[in-house]
Amino acid sequence: MSGNNLVLPIVLWGRTAPTHCISSLLVMDDFSTIITGCHDGQICLWDMTPELGICPRAMLFGHTASITCLSKASACSDKQYIVSASESGEMCLWDVNDGRCIEFTKLACAHTGIQFYQFTIGTQREGRLLCNGHYPEILVVDATSLEVLYSLVSKISPDWISSMSIIRSHRTQEDTVVAVSVTGILKVWIITAEVSRMQDLDPVFEEESKPIYCQGCQSISFCTFTQSSLLVVCSKYWRVFDAGDYSLLCSVPSDNDQAWTGGEFIAADKVIIWTEDGCSYIYKLPASCLPASEHFRSDVGKTKEGSIPPLVYSIANRSDKQLLICPPVTRFFFGRREPFHKLLIQGDSAGRLSLWSIPDTSPLQPLSTATELQVSSTISLQEAFDKLTPVSAGIIDQLSVLPGKDEPIKVTASVYIPSQGRLVCGREDGSIILVPATQTAIVQLLQGEHMLRRGWPPHRTLRGHRNKVTCVLYPYQISPRYDQRSLVSGGVDFSVIVWDIFTGEMKHIFCVHGGEITQLIIPPENCSTRMQHCVCSVASDHSVGLLSLRERKCIMLASLDTSSPSRLSSGVRQMTTWWWDALTALSTSGRWTQGNLPKYSHNALVVQSMKTNLTDPDMHVLFFDVEAVIIQLLTEEAQRPNPTLVSPETLQKSQAGADKGGSFLANKIFKQVKETMKETIKEHLLDEDEEEEEEMRRREEKSKSLSLLEYNLTMDTAKLFMSCLHAWGLNEQLDGICLERLGMLRPHCPISFGLISRGGHMSLMLPTFKESLLSKLSLATGRKLTLSDIVGKGTYGVSRAVTTQHLLSVISLANTLMGMTNATFVGEHMKKAPAR
Amino acid sequence: MPCSLSVKFGQLHISSDLSCMGSGTLKGSRSSAKLHKMLNPQRSLSELPKMSAASQVERAVLEEEFNWLLKEEVHAVLKQLQDVLKEASRRFSMPTPGLESQLKQENFILGSSTMDQVKGVLTLQGEALTQADINLKVAKSSQVLHFQFREDKQWKLQQIQDARNHVNQALQLLNSRDESYHFKTGAEVNKLMDAVMLQLTRARNRLTTPASMTLPELATSGLMKMFTPPMPGDVMVNFYINLSKLCLTVYQLHVLPPNTTKNFKPAGSSVMHNPGAMFELNNNRFEVSHVHKVECVVPWLNDSLVFFTISLQLCQQLKDKISVFSSFWNYRPF
Repeated sequence: MSGNNLVLPIVLWGRTAPTHCISSLLVMDDFSTIITGCHDGQICLWDMTPELGICPRAMLFGHTASITCLSKASACSDKQYIVSASESGEMCLWDVNDGRCIEFTKLACAHTGIQFYQFTIGTQREGRLLCNGHYPEILVVDATSLEVLYSLVSKISPDWISSMSIIRSHRTQEDTVVAVSVTGILKVWIITAEVSRMQDLDPVFEEESKPIYCQGCQSISFCTFTQSSLLVVCSKYWRVFDAGDYSLLCSVPSDNDQAWTGGEFIAADKVIIWTEDGCSYIYKLPASCLPASEHFRSDVGKTKEGSIPPLVYSIANRSDKQLLICPPVTRFFFGRREPFHKLLIQGDSAGRLSLWSIPDTSPLQPLSTATELQVSSTISLQEAFDKLTPVSAGIIDQLSVLPGKDEPIKVTASVYIPSQGRLVCGREDGSIILVPATQTAIVQLLQGEHMLRRGWPPHRTLRGHRNKVTCVLYPYQISPRYDQRSLVSGGVDFSVIVWDIFTGEMKHIFCVHGGEITQLIIPPENCSTRMQHCVCSVASDHSVGLLSLRERKCIMLASLDTSSPSRLSSGVRQMTTWWWDALTALSTSGRWTQGNLPKYSHNALVVQSMKTNLTDPDMHVLFFDVEAVIIQLLTEEAQRPNPTLVSPETLQKSQAGADKGGSFLANKIFKQVKETMKETIKEHLLDEDEEEEEEMRRREEKSKSLSLLEYNLTMDTAKLFMSCLHAWGLNEQLDGICLERLGMLRPHCPISFGLISRGGHMSLMLPTFKESLLSKLSLATGRKLTLSDIVGKGTYGVSRAVTTQHLLSVISLANTLMGMTNATFVGEHMKKAPAR
Repeated sequence: MPCSLSVKFGQLHISSDLSCMGSGTLKGSRSSAKLHKMLNPQRSLSELPKMSAASQVERAVLEEEFNWLLKEEVHAVLKQLQDVLKEASRRFSMPTPGLESQLKQENFILGSSTMDQVKGVLTLQGEALTQADINLKVAKSSQVLHFQFREDKQWKLQQIQDARNHVNQALQLLNSRDESYHFKTGAEVNKLMDAVMLQLTRARNRLTTPASMTLPELATSGLMKMFTPPMPGDVMVNFYINLSKLCLTVYQLHVLPPNTTKNFKPAGSSVMHNPGAMFELNNNRFEVSHVHKVECVVPWLNDSLVFFTISLQLCQQLKDKISVFSSFWNYRPF
């Protein structure tokens, strides 16, 4: 999917913001972007204004495990690159502007810290990344290719490096790398011109190795103000060392059980230290640590513990904060050019960013009582979502809002059936909705007559589960050996239900598990014939069931004995290795990984449901394959009878007929759609008592002709796609023609597009991106703009890559449509069906 | 029924039967309703009001129990976990800077019952091999080669160091959550358990899966330069940990003539290469002719592997206990 195909994603995030439990933080040098990495492996880009307003812009997908560290990866401001590393050893280079993945690599061991380092040889500048982690060396990696160039190695008691810092000296051409190992040994490497030019894997040994007895070192930082001291923060104390001979200048213990997690110099005489629970303290350094003072180094060697330097400010964590599930991440950044902000930034498990602007002056009060610094700005991902008007759309929100309730019922599991263009959504109330995907996407994204109708588009509701549906599976899509009627769903009510997708009938309920169903999997092709018609269900009580859809019974139920995690209980011996995949998948199910990227066979539209965390509701990404749309349009054009003689009505019919080769299946769908349309027109509540009546009606309908049907998947897809991509608002005359003559629809608000880059990495715009776009454009044009003014401007200007993709798509698709006879999106159905 | 739940928590093997118990009421009504449901799905929906009324009382009790779990049981498990991991960590004696030489030295005799071509006596001090004595009987000449480590050299077993660091990281995670800490949500406990389990799995994996190397990597590694007398060009050795065993592999090589008719195919990376594996180094082509592997169990590594497994179980069981309750919170009748 990467590279060759032109595939454009459009995201429907829904009202619930994705879980973003922040694990690492970075602020770009120009202070316009904050980058956060989370425990589920996503990276979020936040826009920041000079007034410290923050707004989430995009989310980057691609890492399969928790983000361990982030670092900038380019020095110049015209190309802003960052590098991210994950717990599983992956490393990715991203473009901050559009979220493109430029390079990626994977090592066997995980990095826990990365520092960008620019090396200058004459006029040539080379970017390097120094990495430390779960290995005893410091790896020097090329910042553009991510190749390991050489490594810095310890001769004396080598061990993992817990933290490092680069010291740049103006006096000599040498730069120094200072690091502390987990056993508390300070190591010093000198990077000279020769070393940096070195390309082979010769190791560089340390210059100095000195025990400083700092076990559990959390961070080490160099004072850029005086260039002569180092701050080392350990969980129980922090220390200042002389950067020249590494002698101890002062040591401050932590009081009442607080664990320090990091610190930084904020001025020549002040440090900020933060704790695990999110509090920070600004201390004034004693005179013995200040090179400007005459008492500098006055008590080297006789430092006594326990003397706590004066506290200038304290920064408590927010009292009104939500319950956190893990310690927050705190970092300090200061601007080296305008605006010269000194910012303390904290990110927590609720996806919240808090900013404190640190003043340069000390408070006027006496130093005995530390002044509390107030938060400058704070926002969580969910808050940003909640502020949006209109709210961020979910794929079937219009069908899910119950009367009297604000929040729509959440979609908890979904599967898209491309051959029928239908989306199956299992919801938290136990119902399953079958709905044409393009129709429902049009309702969510575009303005039009459909807004007046209740219960549009025609859909079908399957009721059977008593509670949340956790997984849905359409086996036929994965392997044609299954019956194309069967749809399988599992829920937290411990049951697995088999449905007939065409009639909506409940075929069978399996109640074999003693826990919530967590996964439904298909056995591989090479298993026994009996197993070939089974699906495998995994439940939270560590049991795995083999359910035969054909025999309608449970063939085998195996349970994982948790008292010996590496062994299955008896009766399971005949099972092949894939069971293990099923079992190991328990922990990783539902995550967006490179493995479950949608496969683009020849489908113009693929709807992929995603969740960043297992507890999240589904969000949906519509992937448009431009090439496939064009091919399908052309195929239909070719299959059409002599075009000059065809009236619009018969055209519609023949299109519909040609749309699906298999007439049996096609008829089925048409019947289905018509039926569900009636159903919804009848009324919102599908009363099950009327089942028999309906059965009768259905039989009656069979005899009627199919002339009412005007459902064309390809044209609908093209319509949705063109309407989303058109640059609305550039040319009013053109907009009018598009709306009236061509039947295109105007979006409600700027659409969240995405960008697919190398290796299945993907960047998706958050719905909140339009807020920062609005303020940016308002500022540029000098007048107050509304959302509708910028509907078509959302994507132009993000980056050259995105603009190229979108222009190419629009041009090629418009060209195809122009070559077709009577091509218009003005649908018959919109005129005929009664508006309620 | 709820009281019997809390009694059950005291025992270890609870997770699977507990989740069944926890759903007792659900199950009872469901199994009877199962037949009904199949015939008449909407009938079972009408039972919902009754069920939710019953679960009101149950909910209150469950809430109380859940609080007990967060306040008492979690800390009890964490304490137990900490004790087990401390034992494991103690096995990997952490060197204090400057005092590495005071660590205990252990000698291991590596041999095999089936063959006597190779015999090794290795001295392990913490994570480093400080002395090695290798006797190799060359089959053709019945000549015995003898090598040992140079005085100034020692070989660090990275696997042991990595495992030790991972365990210590897991311990640090647990230390920050002592009895005084009040857990407020189940998610918080789950998150902590996930982090601890990640470190423990890593620690275990480091010992169970030795690094696989290519033959040229092995030939150029620093290990070859550690011996006196120097290793001849046609012998290579490798040390690694596999599970709880300290392993020594000795490869005997022969040079392939440049114009050999044999098709040359360089071997990939592997933990142990088989006879016949070929590689190229400095424009010379080599083939492995003999491979000898000898090993010896390191008792304390075995102990720590057992401790890892026990700790992982404890973690999983705690997660299961939490998940019993979470499934109840999820149960929201509509």
